[in-house]
Amino acid sequence: MRIEFQDIHKYYGRVRANAGISLVLEPGRIYGLLGENGAGKTTLMRMLAGHTQPSRGRILFDGESVGRLSPSRALGMGVGMLYQDPQDFPALTVWENFRLGGRRRDKRNAIQRLQELGDRFHFRLPPEERATELTVGERQQLDLLRLLDLGANVLILDEPTTGISVTQKETLFAAMNQLAKDQGRTIIFVTHKLAEAEELCQEILVLRQGRLAGQLLPPFRSDELVDLMFGSESGAGGEAGPKLQPNKNPFLSLEHAQLVGEKYALSNASLSIRPGEIVGLAGLEGNGQELLLRSLAGLTRVAKGRIIMGGEQLQGLPYVRFRQAGIHFFPAARLEEGLFPDLSLVEHFQLAFPTARGNPVERLSEEGIRRFRIHAQPFASARTLSGGNQQRLLLALIPKQIKLLLLEHPTRGLDQGAGKLVWHHLAERCRQDTSLIFSSADLEEIKTHSHRILVFYNRRLVADRPSQSISVEEMGRLMAGQATAA
Amino acid sequence: MFSKTSLATSLGRLVAALVLALVLTTLIVLIAGAPPLQTLAILVVGGLGSAAKLAQAAAVWIPLVLCSSALLLTFAAGLWNIGIEGQIILGAVFATGFLRPFPDGGSFLLVMGALMAGMIGGALWALAAGLLRTWGRVHEIFGGLGLNFVALGLTLWLIFGPWKRPGIASMSGTEPLHPTLWLEALGGSSLSPVSLLLALTVFLLVAFVLSSTQWGLRLKAVGQNQDAALLFGLNPQVRILEAMVGCGALAGLAGALQVVGVYHRLLPAISSNYGYTALLVAMLASFRSQIVPVLCFFFAVLNVGSIQLPLQLKLDSSLAGVIQGVLVLSFFLVQGFEERFRVLRRTE
Repeated sequence: MRIEFQDIHKYYGRVRANAGISLVLEPGRIYGLLGENGAGKTTLMRMLAGHTQPSRGRILFDGESVGRLSPSRALGMGVGMLYQDPQDFPALTVWENFRLGGRRRDKRNAIQRLQELGDRFHFRLPPEERATELTVGERQQLDLLRLLDLGANVLILDEPTTGISVTQKETLFAAMNQLAKDQGRTIIFVTHKLAEAEELCQEILVLRQGRLAGQLLPPFRSDELVDLMFGSESGAGGEAGPKLQPNKNPFLSLEHAQLVGEKYALSNASLSIRPGEIVGLAGLEGNGQELLLRSLAGLTRVAKGRIIMGGEQLQGLPYVRFRQAGIHFFPAARLEEGLFPDLSLVEHFQLAFPTARGNPVERLSEEGIRRFRIHAQPFASARTLSGGNQQRLLLALIPKQIKLLLLEHPTRGLDQGAGKLVWHHLAERCRQDTSLIFSSADLEEIKTHSHRILVFYNRRLVADRPSQSISVEEMGRLMAGQATAA
Repeated sequence: MFSKTSLATSLGRLVAALVLALVLTTLIVLIAGAPPLQTLAILVVGGLGSAAKLAQAAAVWIPLVLCSSALLLTFAAGLWNIGIEGQIILGAVFATGFLRPFPDGGSFLLVMGALMAGMIGGALWALAAGLLRTWGRVHEIFGGLGLNFVALGLTLWLIFGPWKRPGIASMSGTEPLHPTLWLEALGGSSLSPVSLLLALTVFLLVAFVLSSTQWGLRLKAVGQNQDAALLFGLNPQVRILEAMVGCGALAGLAGALQVVGVYHRLLPAISSNYGYTALLVAMLASFRSQIVPVLCFFFAVLNVGSIQLPLQLKLDSSLAGVIQGVLVLSFFLVQGFEERFRVLRRTE
């Protein structure tokens, strides 16, 4: 089936996820869809799979418009999506999962069909096993067989190689080739791993900031892909911060630590920080940088290794002790994790600075509102503030005496002016010897503001360099799993 | 969880819900084959008609206000303390236990001691639900519900076992307390001025704590966003336990007052389901503590008036419960519709 996207736009409130994407997907080919986090890949695919509707534009199936798509309608048209987290019911057995949503079949029939399909692709799934007992790779195979059984002609695979073994990956790639070449199905392979896209795809589509930045045919050139993916952002960086004072000794170090998060672990991370130093963390989401920030804040578990600050070992201590040691965590999800939606600005100040009671609180909040240019009344609730104002409120609530400030995406979702204000304030903190570690999806921002840059790929720390000695392009290559020597 | 709204909106919502509830109740009464107007009249007059009726309603109002005030604390901290029933019961059990060694009566100090014991009993029971939540990761709804059954079982065991009346173990409860250990009631009624004063004081105290103290603010912060509360160093787990203990202590006080002020013994149904009714009140009030006493009074009148239904119309008195339920459902329906219209307006 031939699929045509015609001038697809998608807005979430004021955020533009897709802006005028037009492209054609022919049957029997494997397409790679590349782009960094937030480039609009998933949004575009969700529209094709019927999970959300375009704000403008349409999707044609064999030249025909089918109107509003729902997930079941899209599946009826032959579009199946394989998610990063397999969509199965862990408590049910393999054959029960396989049968779900499909034709009515008795157990014998279902198992027979499952094995028939599985044999074709060399998937070996134990039909009586519960889905919880399977590896991620096996659950993915199960999902794929289910979609094929339901008649999926167009298969979308969203980051399918995350968390599966090398053998499973090879089996999967073989299956994808077979599906495209022998059976004429369309495969869309969503990824940020360049090597895999280059190996597998007949055509690579690159999205950047909601637009189609490039449409490439083999032979692919990695540096060209990196360039298209990350590009050079238009001056989002702003001015550089204060110079690092050279003769100061590190006050905090992380030694051979294994950090364990909810979804994954980061092993053997070592790092030391000097007063006033700004460290930028580059990496695609889920590759380790969030875990590093949260572990240093005392919010996630350190399984091995040590965190030492001012001679004191912090690993294993409760979060409150990290706070007392002068570490402050600044979350990316402002309203979800950082603020109390229905409490007023004054109440936030009251909670953050409990020693100032009564009238001083109001004075403090008014001063905070002026100094941080929060455009709101002291008794407005946090929920009613704009993103920029929420960010400035969070900044205003950081205690005065802080040694280490850990920031997740400090300027995400802010316009340039608001972002500049944030960095202005952060630079001020650095001059007072507060060290900063921050993550960002904007490589220019990292390059501009950091003294030192750490790059993460595949849940490993792959580079720790002074900012001068690494370029934005190189960061991009490292983040996409390309070797340094390029 | 609920979000805070302006007083006007919440009152408007309440009125709309009342109208809707009235319509639905009328329908139910019609189906039951009774004259709707007369039924409603009996409900209201039965609870307000005379000084005696009013005193009766006030006697019901006391435990309702105590429990609703208690629940304001846990609601502020974002907790659904369904276990309040058990906490009332444990308050009654501890108060009875405290007074049992004094069959020949004693001074007023003993009564005060019994009230204190009741508060401790309720607080411990609530602490159990709180620890289940913070340590055992059992949601307080399930933990509380389980503990309610345990509390009920405990009372029955006490009444029919170790605390049974000599010779006759029965549903009528334990041996009555010596009259010197009763709280004095207004002539002929079960309304005790001391209880009334206590209930009022507790309500004002809770309202003050929640609106004007740092601790109250912290509870609200925990209720709004536990993740942020953690980052602010507010120790959300400890705050949750404090809110539970505070709520349990007040519920225990209500239970103890039922023993020394109303029934003068431990009964199997000592809590009269006031805990559940108070949950409805706290939900309806949705953070507006000012309207709690009014709502409690309304429910108390319904409660007392419903006693007249079987006498005058041969209707079952459970109709009051049905009306209460319908009212709460109507309230949530009104809220739901409001939300729906807002979403519709936004998408247009």
